[in-house]
Amino acid sequence: MSSSSSFPTSRFPFAAGGAGAGGPGGGGGSGSSMRPWGSSGGTSVSSSGKRIQKELLDLNASDCSAGPKGDNLYHWLSTIIGPQGSPYEGGIFFLDIVFPLDYPFKPPAVTFKTRIYHCNVDSTGTVSLEILKDGWSPALTISKVLLAIKAIITNPDPYNPLVERIARLYLTDRAKHDEIAAEWTMRFAR
Amino acid sequence: MDAAPALCTLLQSSDKTILESALSCLAMIAVGARGNAVQMDKLCDSKVVEVAMRLLENDGWKSLDDQTLYDILGLLKNLASVSTKAVKSLFDLRVCDLLKQMITYYSRSHSDSHELQMLVEFIYQLMRPLETSDHRTGLNAIIIEQSTYIDQLAGIVTLIIQVAKCGAVSSVCYRCIVVIGNIVELSTPTFLVELQKTANLSSFLTCLLARKNRHVVLETLKVSKTLLKKHHHFFFEAFAKEGVKQTVDAIHAQENHKSKRNSTMQETCVCFDLDSDVSSADGCKIENNAILNLAEEIKKSFLLVKASNKSPHRFGCVIKTIRDFFAQLNGYTITTRTRNPDLCKELSDVSRRLLSDQLPSTSTFTFVKSGSTKHLADYLSNGAYFNSNLNNCQSFVEQLKEVQIRLQKFTHLALMVSNESSEKPLGILVEKLLDALHMCYDSFPVMLSDYELRTRDSTMIPLRHSGNEESGSLYIKFVRACREKELHNYNDVLPVDLYSKPDDIEAVLWPEICESTEDGQSSSRLMFSYKGTKLQPSATFFESLVRLMNKGQSYVMIDPSFWDEEHKISYKRTKVSREISSWSSYNTQLSAMHEKLEQSWLKDPAFCTIFLGKLPGDVDESDPSYDLLFTLKVLEGLNRFSYQLSMDEQISKFAEGCLRDLDDLKVTISPIPQHYFLSSLLTNKLELQMQESLFEDGLIPSWCVYLVETCPFLLSFSTRWKYFCLTVHRSFMADKASTPPDEASPDTEANIAVDVASTPPDETSSDTDEASTDADEASTAKRTKKHKVMRGNILEDAASMMSTHASSNETLEVVFEGEVGTGRGPTFEFYTTVSHELQRVGTGMWRGDNARKPEGETVFLHATFGLFPQPWSSVSSSSRGIELSDVVKKFKLLGHLVARAVLDGRILDIPLSKAFYKIMLGQELDIYDIPTFDPELGKTVLEFQALVKRKKFLETSSERASNPSAYLSYKNVRLEDLCLDFTLPGNPEYELVPGGSEKMVTLDNLEEYVYLIVDATLKSGIDKQIQAFKSAINEVLSLKTLGMFNEEEIERILCGKQDAWASSKLEDHIQFDHGYEVNSQPIICFLEILREFGREEQRAFIQFTTGAPQLPLGGLASLDPKLTVVRKKCDGNVDNELPSVNTCRHFIKLPPYSSKEIMRNKLKYALAEGLGSFHLS
Repeated sequence: MSSSSSFPTSRFPFAAGGAGAGGPGGGGGSGSSMRPWGSSGGTSVSSSGKRIQKELLDLNASDCSAGPKGDNLYHWLSTIIGPQGSPYEGGIFFLDIVFPLDYPFKPPAVTFKTRIYHCNVDSTGTVSLEILKDGWSPALTISKVLLAIKAIITNPDPYNPLVERIARLYLTDRAKHDEIAAEWTMRFAR
Repeated sequence: MDAAPALCTLLQSSDKTILESALSCLAMIAVGARGNAVQMDKLCDSKVVEVAMRLLENDGWKSLDDQTLYDILGLLKNLASVSTKAVKSLFDLRVCDLLKQMITYYSRSHSDSHELQMLVEFIYQLMRPLETSDHRTGLNAIIIEQSTYIDQLAGIVTLIIQVAKCGAVSSVCYRCIVVIGNIVELSTPTFLVELQKTANLSSFLTCLLARKNRHVVLETLKVSKTLLKKHHHFFFEAFAKEGVKQTVDAIHAQENHKSKRNSTMQETCVCFDLDSDVSSADGCKIENNAILNLAEEIKKSFLLVKASNKSPHRFGCVIKTIRDFFAQLNGYTITTRTRNPDLCKELSDVSRRLLSDQLPSTSTFTFVKSGSTKHLADYLSNGAYFNSNLNNCQSFVEQLKEVQIRLQKFTHLALMVSNESSEKPLGILVEKLLDALHMCYDSFPVMLSDYELRTRDSTMIPLRHSGNEESGSLYIKFVRACREKELHNYNDVLPVDLYSKPDDIEAVLWPEICESTEDGQSSSRLMFSYKGTKLQPSATFFESLVRLMNKGQSYVMIDPSFWDEEHKISYKRTKVSREISSWSSYNTQLSAMHEKLEQSWLKDPAFCTIFLGKLPGDVDESDPSYDLLFTLKVLEGLNRFSYQLSMDEQISKFAEGCLRDLDDLKVTISPIPQHYFLSSLLTNKLELQMQESLFEDGLIPSWCVYLVETCPFLLSFSTRWKYFCLTVHRSFMADKASTPPDEASPDTEANIAVDVASTPPDETSSDTDEASTDADEASTAKRTKKHKVMRGNILEDAASMMSTHASSNETLEVVFEGEVGTGRGPTFEFYTTVSHELQRVGTGMWRGDNARKPEGETVFLHATFGLFPQPWSSVSSSSRGIELSDVVKKFKLLGHLVARAVLDGRILDIPLSKAFYKIMLGQELDIYDIPTFDPELGKTVLEFQALVKRKKFLETSSERASNPSAYLSYKNVRLEDLCLDFTLPGNPEYELVPGGSEKMVTLDNLEEYVYLIVDATLKSGIDKQIQAFKSAINEVLSLKTLGMFNEEEIERILCGKQDAWASSKLEDHIQFDHGYEVNSQPIICFLEILREFGREEQRAFIQFTTGAPQLPLGGLASLDPKLTVVRKKCDGNVDNELPSVNTCRHFIKLPPYSSKEIMRNKLKYALAEGLGSFHLS
C-alpha cells in the first residue's frame, strides 16, 4: 500500500488530544482516549486503519471530498455540495465522520456540522439513515455512505422523519418547505 | 354482638390499627355466631357487609395486609354461610366482579396460595351445596330469583375451572367442583353450551375424573349427570370427544370390580379435609356404592343416545387422521431427502393444515388416545425414540444430520403463524401436552406425613406437624426372594435411614448375603421388591414403600404406625449386564456425541435427549408421563433454540444456493414465551410437597428432584427458587441444621426467598422493610459476620475480604470504615458500589471498554446489550497499562460477589449480558450467541460463515468445481477489498494468529478467520477470566445447582426485580411534545399502561424505544436524549395505526387512540413484533 499524497503514513500514530480539536461538544474529553494501536510509534497500522487508508485512496479517485481532519486517521471531515435543482443548491455542507475502532464491523458516525433544513437531519446534525444503523455492513464504504447522504438530500424521506414538523410541511406544502430550506442554505451553508 | 354496629363504624376509620382490631373483633363475633342465622342476620343489619366490601373495593384489597384480608374474607365467608341477607347484599354489591379480580391476581403467582384458598372457600360458602338443609335452599332460591346474580356467577366460573384444574390441594378442587356443580344446576342450557365452547368444560371434567379423590370424583360425576340432563345431545357429543365417556366407563368398571370383590379394605379418605363441619370420627360420607351407581346411571344415559343416534361417530376418524398425519410425516421425510419440491410443498401443506386448523379443535383426550405424542417423538428423533440403542458411529452422524433437519422443519412449522391473530401451533401443542400431563396425576404423588391433618381448620395449609416421633429411620426386614438360590437369606431387620437408596443398603447387605467376594464396586447387583413390585433404584426405600402402600390414593399419607411396623422387602440378584450397560451406554453415547457435534448449542440436554431418544437419568419409561415429558423437553429445547435452528437452516439454504442474497439471511420466526411450558398443577404439587416437614429434612420424592433437574421449565420460577433455598441452602449451611427445627421452618426460609426475589431496590422499600426485618432476624440466627471496608479502596478491600470469607458459613455484612451505619443498608450499598466499580471504564473486563467514548466524561461503561468479557490475547499479559492478572482478579471478585449475593440475598447492580449468564449456567456458547451482545459483529460473522459454507458446497458439488471463488463475493465486494487482517475487530493488538496483523483475509482463509474470531470472542480469549469467575463461585456454592434456572431467572436472582423505572417518577423522565402534554388524555393512559407493565414488558418497551434492552446506569433518568412521546399524525382511523419509534432520538410516536385498551393492545403488538425482529434485522 503506497502512502497517500496528503496523509503520509509515517506520521501514524498520532499524539493523543488532537482528535477533539474543533469537534462536537464533548470533544474536549477525548484527551483521555489514547490511540490504541501500539505505543511504539512503529509503522504497523491496525486492521481498521488499513481499511480507512484504503478508502481514502479510493475516495481521491471519486468526486466526493472527504479526508482526515488534522492528523487523526479516525476523524474525518467531508463536504457535500448542495445538489443542483434542489433547494440546497449552492450550499456547502460540512460533515463530521468518526470511525469506530472496530470499523468496518461497526458503522462510522456521520453528523452534519452545517445546519440544514431537512426532515431527516435534526438540529444536532444527526442523520437518520438505515445504512448507518442496522443496515450497516462491512461491504459498505464511506464513499457509498456519502452518496447515500447526497441522495437523501435530494430526495428526503418524509415517512421516516427525524424532524416531524419539516416532514409534515414537506408533504403538505412543498413550496413553503423548499423556500425555508433555500433560506436556511443561504443563511448557514454559504 | 351488641357492639357490632359500633365496630362497623370503627371499620371506616382511617387509622390502620383501629381498623385492624375492629375487624378482628367482628371476625371473632362472626365465628362465635356461626350456624346461628338469626344472629348473623342481626350482624348484617349493622351494615357490616357494606363496610367490609368498601374496604375491598377499588383495588383496596391490594393495599391491605395479609391478616386484614384474611379477617375480612373470613368474616364475609361466615356471614354468607348462613345469612340470606348477607348473600343478597353481597351480590348487590357485585361481589363477583371483585372476586374475579382477586382470583386473577392471585392465581398468577401460583394457584394454591392461601389467598386463593380463602377465596374459593368464600365462593363455596356463597353457594352451599344444593341438597343441604332447608334454610339453605332458601338461600339458593334467592340466587335463582335474581338472574343478575347468575350472570355474576357465570362470570367467574371460567376462573374457577382454571383454579380447579391446577389445584393440588384436593379441598380446593372439591370446593370448586361443588360450586361449578351449583352453577351448572342453575344455568340455562344455552349458557352451558357457551361455557363448553369457551372453557371446555368436558375436558375439565375428564381431568378431574382422573383424580383419585373419591369426593372429587363423585361431585364431578354429579356435574356430568346434570350436564347431560340439561342438554343431552350436545354434551353427549362433547363428552365423547373429550373422553368423559371413556373415563366414566373406566370408573364404572373399576368400581364394579371393587364391589364384586366386596373388599373389606378400608379406603383412607380425606373427607375431613373437605368439609369443616364433619368431624374426623364420622369417617367417609360417601356410601360405598355411590360412585358405582352414579357411573352406571350416566352410562345408561349414554347407551340411550347411542341407540337413537344414527349419525356416524366422528371420534374414531379424528384419531385416525392425527395418527396418520404423524405416520405420514415419518414417511415423507425419507423422500424429502431427494429434495423433490412438490413433495416438500405437499408435506408442508398437510402439516400446516393439521397443525393450525385441526390441532386447536382436537380435544386433549383424542390427542392422547391417538398416540400422537409417541409418533411425534418418533418422528423428531428419527426413530431413536423407539429404538434407543444406536449401533455404530457412522449411523450416528447420519442420525444427527437427519434429526437436525427434522427439528428445523418442525420448528418452522410449529412457530409459523398463518395470520396475525392465530396462535402458534407450538403453543397449542404444548398446551395439549401439559393438559395430558395433568391427567397423569398419579405420577407425581405428594407425600404428606401430617397426620394432624384431620383436626386442622380446613382453610389452612397443612402446618408442620408437632413431630414428637423421631422420623429417623424405618425398620425393614430383608428377605431373600423365593426363587433366589445363589444368595443367603438375610432374614433380619435393619433400621434404614430415610434417605437411603437401594444402592446404599446393598453396600451393607451384600457382604452378608454373598459368600464369594467378587469385585466390590459394581453397583446394582441386587433388585429389591416390595410385595412383588420392583423398587426404583433412584427412589429412597422410604418413598417407594410409602408410594406402594398408598397405591391408588390421591394423597400419600403416612400413618404413625408406619414408623413402628416392620416392612418386608425381598431381594434377588439382578442380571447385572443389562442394568449397568443401559445406563453407562447412555453416558458413552453422550460423550461420543459431544465429540461429533460441531455446534455447541446442540450440546444442550434437550438435544441430547432427542438424539438419543431417551430422557436422561434413571426413569420409568413405562410411566404414562414419560412420553409427555420427553416430548415437552424436546419441544422446549426446540423453542429455546428456534433462532439457532432456523438460522442454521438459512445458512444451509444460502450454501446450497436457494438463498441468493446475504441480506435475506435472517430469522423471521420468534419463539413462544417460556411460560407456555409452565405446568401449574406440578408447580402446586411441588409447593405442597415443600410445605411438608419431612421435605426439609431432605426427604424429597424422586419426582421432585427429577423434574427440577430435567424439566425445570415445568415449574414456576418462585417455586424453583424456594426449592433451591430449601435444598442448596440447607446443604450449604450444614451447621444450621442443628439449631432447633422450629426456627428453620420452611416459612422463614420461604420468606427470605420471597424477599430476595421481590425486593425492588427503589421506592417500594417502605413495605419491604418490614419483611426484611423478618429476614434479618432469621439471618441473625444464621450468624452474621461484619467486615470493615474502606470506601476509598473498595475494590481491593472487597477482593481481600471475599477471598478469605466468601466460603464462610456466615452471612456477610459490611460496615464502611469511619461510618456508623451497620446492617442491611451498608451491606446492600456495598454490593451496589462494588458492582458499579466493576463497570468503570478502563477495567479491561468488558467488551466495548476500549471503544471510543462518544461524549466526554462517561466513567461507567454503557453496554447496550449487556456486559460480556473482553477477549484477552493469550500472548500478551498487559494492554494499555492494564494487567491481565488484574482483570482476572476482578473476575474472581465478581464470582465471589455473585455467589454471596445468591446465598445472602443481596442484589447486584450490574447489567451482565444473557450470554454471560449462559456461561455461568455452564452452557457453551457459539457463533449464534455473538449477535446477542454484539449485533453488528455477530451479523457479519454469520454472513461470513454462510459464505464459507457456500464455498464448501460449490467445491464439493461437481458441476462448478472449476473455480468456485470466481462466483463468490461478499455483497459484491471481494473479500480482499474489505481490508481485514487477522486481528480481533476493535482490538488490533489481539492477533488471531502469530503475525496476524500482516495476514490479510481472503476467501481462502475466511473459514479460518471466522473460526478464530468466534474462538477468541467466546472461548480462548475469555477463558482465563471465565475460569477465575467460575471457580470463585464454586468456592461458595456448587455452580451446578444453579442449572435449574435459566438466564433470565438467574439475572432476576442476582439483580432483583429491578424495574426499568420507578413508576412514580415516570413523568419526570419522559418528555411530551408535538401535540402532547403531561395531562393529555392519551398520555395519561400511556403512563398508566407503562406503570402496569411487568418486567419483561418494560424491557421490551425499552428495547423498542431505545433499540437496546438495557438502560444506562441510572435508568430512564440518565437516558440521553430523554425519552420523548410525540403525537403521531394519522390520516385514516386512528385505532388502526401502530405506534412507531425513532430509536436514536428516543422518540415514540403514539397515535391518539380512542381508548386505553386499544392503546395497550397496539403497544403490546408493536413490542412483540419489535422483539421478534430483534435478531439481526
